[in-house]
Amino acid sequence: MSTALLTLEGVGKDYAKVESRGGRLRLVFDLLRGHGAAHVFCALDDVSFTMARGESLGIIGENGAGKSTLLKVVAGVIQPTRGRVAVNGRVGALLELGSGFHPEYTGLANIDLAAALLGLAPSELGAKRDEIIAFADLGEHINDPLKQYSSGMVVRLGFAVATALSPDVLITDEVLAVGDESFQKRCIAWMERYLAGGGTLLLCSHSMYHIQKLCTHALWLKDGRIERYGPANDVAQAYLAYHEEKDARAHRPIGTDKAAASGWYAIEGLALEPSDTIEQGAALTVRGQVFSPDDRTPVVLVGIVRADGTPVYGVATDMEDAPPVRIAVQRYAFSLTFPEMALLPGRYQVRAHALDPEGVRLFDHVEQTFTVTGATRELGFVRLPHRWQAPA
Amino acid sequence: MTPRAADAVWSGGRVGGLLPGPRDRALLANFLRRELTTRYLGSVTGFAWALLSPLALLAVYYFVFTHIFRATGFAGPSFLAFVAVALWPWLAAQEALQRGAVSIAGYGGMIRKVAFPHELIVLASVAATFVLQFAGYLAILAVLRIAGEPIHLRGLLIAVPVWAVLLVGVAGLTFFVAALQVFVKDVEHVLMPLLMMLMYLTPILYPLTLVPEGVRPWVAANPFNWVVGRLRDGLLEGRLSLQPSDALAVAISIALFVAGRWVFRRLSPHFEDFV
Repeated sequence: MSTALLTLEGVGKDYAKVESRGGRLRLVFDLLRGHGAAHVFCALDDVSFTMARGESLGIIGENGAGKSTLLKVVAGVIQPTRGRVAVNGRVGALLELGSGFHPEYTGLANIDLAAALLGLAPSELGAKRDEIIAFADLGEHINDPLKQYSSGMVVRLGFAVATALSPDVLITDEVLAVGDESFQKRCIAWMERYLAGGGTLLLCSHSMYHIQKLCTHALWLKDGRIERYGPANDVAQAYLAYHEEKDARAHRPIGTDKAAASGWYAIEGLALEPSDTIEQGAALTVRGQVFSPDDRTPVVLVGIVRADGTPVYGVATDMEDAPPVRIAVQRYAFSLTFPEMALLPGRYQVRAHALDPEGVRLFDHVEQTFTVTGATRELGFVRLPHRWQAPA
Repeated sequence: MTPRAADAVWSGGRVGGLLPGPRDRALLANFLRRELTTRYLGSVTGFAWALLSPLALLAVYYFVFTHIFRATGFAGPSFLAFVAVALWPWLAAQEALQRGAVSIAGYGGMIRKVAFPHELIVLASVAATFVLQFAGYLAILAVLRIAGEPIHLRGLLIAVPVWAVLLVGVAGLTFFVAALQVFVKDVEHVLMPLLMMLMYLTPILYPLTLVPEGVRPWVAANPFNWVVGRLRDGLLEGRLSLQPSDALAVAISIALFVAGRWVFRRLSPHFEDFV
């Protein structure tokens, strides 16, 4: 096995939390004595992974998950509080394009500055300078002070500088979606050439499309820790599924306990029979009980949605004159059977809603996930009755 | 190839020599040029002001002491030369500390996004001030000499090393205040009145011999007293012989540099979060 280009071992980063004014002085003393800060926010914890040359890694996660902190640690912008970072090559970092530039400098002088930041003397820059000027394609503006540039022009210069210096690892932070259409195309084209030529990319993006297109591996960060690490497609899909479920949960209007406590109609207990995993075409029964604060017969609405929340089918007790049955004081029960499950294999949810007897106000919402198994190449999520025949 | 991010930047605190390594020199040169060009870029008078403002100050002192106090006999044959020789190095130290203290903030965007040794910021800031003030110093010495004031130009043989010792010591102090300023914003506000008071407690406008004997050892203990004394020895008296205090001054200067940089390197990994 070739030597690792990038190795992180148990990397963690704490940020000092300073509330009071005196706290800042105490922090300085703590740092000088070699202690860590007393109050910290842990932005990154126990992150370990290895990247080989040509093995690009996409970092995904929600806002505040520690993605930027991780990129900064790898780029050397911040020192990890714990653990070890070993980079066996030249790192090019595109953390916010143009951040190393000086607004009073001309484009040309900023190219020299950027090179100096990478440890190159102007003489070493040599022919690369022309390459950068050509890629940035700024024409005469290259001799103007940077403060006169549009943000798109700054970005072009930044990208041109970072890429021309042929880094072994290129770190980018959501910068693929910059510049005008034609420049974006050139960026993507450059990335693909760079990757094909054995370059390694460490990319942070919310675009699963880019992650899957450009990266072999992906790392999902959640609350500063690795939630999942593996082949880009697997991690990206797991991440998307997580978001679909999270979005669906967010729609839930009110919790059961709160509903019962406040004297509202509430679903109590929702069961799937025979189990929450069924064969395609098998029967599925949804059973449940409803709490009725005034002991009147509530309306129950049962729906089936896909894991991402897309509604598939819904039906209520008052639509088909099948009211829940009273089994005790303030207690009603319902049972609904789908004799031949037409859903195609996949993950779905049953949602049961409790409504008032008039079927107007929606009070409660309980859901349960179930899986339909089977082997089929049909597309979509429901099998419609159909038949093929010879054309007339 | 040396991994810059992991080694060059963060091992700096452990293995770095007294001066920046070859990879950082290009960046230091760039920062120095940036300090020199942008510092006066917006001002109408540009560099000229950097050279003229000490001259204006000298003129005011000359007027006050020769025409109002009329007490300049202590200064030997020329009050102008007596003050000029000591004023420029003091202003260099003062300006280096004040500008250096706030220098980190000017590179905030870069510190948050780019990996580079932060101490180059302070070194460039201090060096830029010293380059300008030393140029002004040479100019005023030349003018005084041409005007017939008693300046011994061979005294430069001692003046140049004295400035160098001053530069190293001031750089150390600036490391300290610059790092502290990032966390505690009061530093810059405390620094100005403090330096003003120190100036009058340092024998710049008067000789050490005029200081009452009871307090004289305290005033003499000020390291800047050595700078003033040695410059006057060389440039006003033409004396070039070395003294035991020279070795002590060099030692203090290097100690300040090492200590200041140690503090700076302890604190600089945390700048990113506070700058």
